[in-house]
Amino acid sequence: MAAPTSETTVRAAGLLLALVYASFAAWLYVRQPQTFEQVTGGLTAAIGAYRIDQQAFSDALRFFNNDQFVEARQALARADPAVRDARTQFYVAYSFYRQGWGRFYHDDTLYRQGVEAVDRAVALAEGGRLVVDDPSLQIHTAEELRSELVAGIERDTSDINPLRLLRERR
Amino acid sequence: MIGAAREAIVLPLMFLTVALLGGLQMNSATAFAPPSLFALVLGVLMLRILVRSGTLAPERLLSSSRRVLENANGAVVLVTLWIASAQIFTLLIPASGLPKVAFNVYFLLLMLNTAAADPDRPRLIHSLAVTFGTAFVLKFVVLSALSDPGGGRLARVLQALLEGITLGTLTQETQHPAVGYVAFFVLALFLTGVFMLPSRTSARHSRWLPA
Repeated sequence: MAAPTSETTVRAAGLLLALVYASFAAWLYVRQPQTFEQVTGGLTAAIGAYRIDQQAFSDALRFFNNDQFVEARQALARADPAVRDARTQFYVAYSFYRQGWGRFYHDDTLYRQGVEAVDRAVALAEGGRLVVDDPSLQIHTAEELRSELVAGIERDTSDINPLRLLRERR
Repeated sequence: MIGAAREAIVLPLMFLTVALLGGLQMNSATAFAPPSLFALVLGVLMLRILVRSGTLAPERLLSSSRRVLENANGAVVLVTLWIASAQIFTLLIPASGLPKVAFNVYFLLLMLNTAAADPDRPRLIHSLAVTFGTAFVLKFVVLSALSDPGGGRLARVLQALLEGITLGTLTQETQHPAVGYVAFFVLALFLTGVFMLPSRTSARHSRWLPA
């Protein structure tokens, strides 16, 4: 016996709704967003509609180039509240690198935060490849930046090489 | 039509909401905790008890006489019910220490004992409401109060004593106060969903499982 069309519609709509809701729940469990902005940002990114705040990003670049790294990160957080933009996260990582860099020693805490940020950037980048064409930077790829950060954290014989005092911040 | 809407929309959405919010944790950071393997096993035992008691009639959700779309709706109800059951146990079992072990053992014995007692639908729903309600009070009221570092002087003395006696295995990580309210809502939603499941008129004439 064939079911009425209205019942079929209800059942099909219910099935679709349940699948969409289940996908959303699964996404929340996998991504573990911490804020409402991260939830909405993640959903808009999923449909390719996520955009960063360009004004805040420009502010951040200005702070970054003036070596005001804490202010730069605050502006970057405003620009990318959902933490969904690879380029912004690259700058976050770079700010940790530059702030933590020292001629005699590096700040391990900041460098570790930098590694976390660059890993986020790589995870967000399409195909894991991230190249930032900014002439004011000396490091343009996520791989190079990560390598610098990790080398700064690790302890090895190069740490006692006096020539390291001649190294310049990149 | 009402039956179709309940089966295709209401029940799956209720159980998915339970599955979603059941794992919500808000302490130092917000996180969604997936069900543990043990909770999934307890969820299977819960399904078995629901079927045995007649609270859930699987033949009314999945059968060869139903159309493909109807069976798909029925399968969604069963899967979401299983995950929601597992998440209810995740919600009610404390996260660490002695209480976690005690609650795990308690729920396992309770499920086995309920299966052996073979209750009918009203008794099972009553039993689940009492059991889950008690576990809720123990976790979100008693244990929460004992683990609250911001409590009064008496509470802090009691806390120090208990910490000493139990070697620090009793107290839990402090949760945001909203978590208790969310848990109460989730528990009520789950029990409502169980009450709304398509049931068998007589559990004693089940063709699906041996008596």
